[in-house]
Amino acid sequence: MMCEDCGVRPAKFHLTTIINGDRVERNLCPACMAKHQKQLPGIDFSNLAGLLSSILEGRNAAEQEQRETEYEDLVCEQCGMTYAEFQKGGMLGCANCYQAFRQPLTALMQRVHGNTQHAGRIPGGVHSGVSIRMNIERLKQKLQRAIAEEEYEQAAKLRDAIRALNIQLERREGDIKVHPQARLTGDDGEEASADV
Amino acid sequence: MYEYVMAPEQDVVISSRVRLSRNYEDLPFSPKLTRECAEEVIERTTDAVFHTENGAAFTFLRMGDLEEDARSRLVEHHLISYDLLKFVTRSAAMISSAGTVTVMLNEEDHIRFQGLLPGLQLERSAEMALKLDEAVGQKYAFAFDPQWGFLSASPANTGTGLRASVILHLPALSSAGQMGAVMQTIAKLGVTVRGLYGDGSEARGNLYQLSNQATLGRSEEDVIRALTAAASQVVEHERSMREQAEKKDMLQLQDSLMRSWGELMYARLMNVGEFMKRYSDIRYAASMGYLHAPLPGLDALMMDAQPGSLGVRAGKLMSPRESEILRAQYLRDELKKLVAE
Repeated sequence: MMCEDCGVRPAKFHLTTIINGDRVERNLCPACMAKHQKQLPGIDFSNLAGLLSSILEGRNAAEQEQRETEYEDLVCEQCGMTYAEFQKGGMLGCANCYQAFRQPLTALMQRVHGNTQHAGRIPGGVHSGVSIRMNIERLKQKLQRAIAEEEYEQAAKLRDAIRALNIQLERREGDIKVHPQARLTGDDGEEASADV
Repeated sequence: MYEYVMAPEQDVVISSRVRLSRNYEDLPFSPKLTRECAEEVIERTTDAVFHTENGAAFTFLRMGDLEEDARSRLVEHHLISYDLLKFVTRSAAMISSAGTVTVMLNEEDHIRFQGLLPGLQLERSAEMALKLDEAVGQKYAFAFDPQWGFLSASPANTGTGLRASVILHLPALSSAGQMGAVMQTIAKLGVTVRGLYGDGSEARGNLYQLSNQATLGRSEEDVIRALTAAASQVVEHERSMREQAEKKDMLQLQDSLMRSWGELMYARLMNVGEFMKRYSDIRYAASMGYLHAPLPGLDALMMDAQPGSLGVRAGKLMSPRESEILRAQYLRDELKKLVAE
């Protein structure tokens, strides 16, 4: 078989390239294969602006650390782990430790993640309402800006997008019934997770 | 004829990996995990995974049943984490036949689902891990809190429990002394950079790992998108540095890179440290088209030439010298098969 690129040299490699999810397959000679391996610069950076806005906030670590000593005597009733023990080993003993140490952990989470609210999936694989809410907030800010700048066409589009997300959110909140205590004790929780 | 697939951005990105931490809500976490509970973790997870659509593709391995070289080989091929070996008496792994999906059991968390693909394919790696996570989570409940998400033994992993990482080959940025600046820029995007092998500033083979810092407060999709964008930025930077080096003095660049080819072709003793330097050079050369060798083949060879994998190949315990002899010989043989000059 001859190389499908130059047609001169015999093909030695079967190259499959994945471009935007599509598979392109070719039989190539070594020299043409090498050319294909050398990819040229040229990538879309449209996402970068959004990235920069997510830079973590500064935090006052020393002060927090000091306050944490107050919590050393806390004990998790379920597994017997103390907060002092956790501080030493860095690992919690069971799911209930998160309840028992909720207060100091909140400060710790803020320090480690720069955040204290989950925004990802919930069990069952569906997306939690939290990130929809965040999207609504973002769009609302954009809407205000658009109105201030008298960009009414843009504002109308944003208003429709917010409306659509609100409907989505309402539908979700009807479905989601997860509560930490309820889950741990085995009761059927009634509260919607997005309210926490 | 060699069959191989070129993955996206493979000239710079070696692989993309996504790990998800999960714990069963009713079983104690790692520090309080009893032998019985560890067995329960294994029983539930194997039951759920084997009963999924592709369940038959998984092989179950108890770490305690494996020889040391066999365990190291799994780490060197990124199929399991190094940390899984810290808990050898209780830990196990389920590995898919293609090696793209792994389930680690009784590591720091009850379960770590892993998706691993060549090149820059974080989204697909995440999909694979999340799909399996969903299947297991539907059968047995995971520890979850509406405020904090999926609960991990370490609060550093709580939230999505998702840790995404990409391995990048950055020879041009490294030799231009720009890695410090790159690391600083990337850290501002919530991404951590470290050398893949070795610690601190030394990065063997010019291989670097980028991964997300936080797991709480951002959705899985956001994290994947942000890391992909950060990695793409570094890829672009590396490519332009490669172009610059070539423009500056192509012959000089070719000379310095291809000398490593000579070393690999004729050396009779090869330790890992030297091999990683040579590998970096010939991978760089191949990505520039100076050397006609497929990148996926070179990367597979790089993993196979690591100590544990080499030991598995030898089938016996080797002295350091024996291992250097075998490595040199193995590389000569395999590289000859890979290239066609």
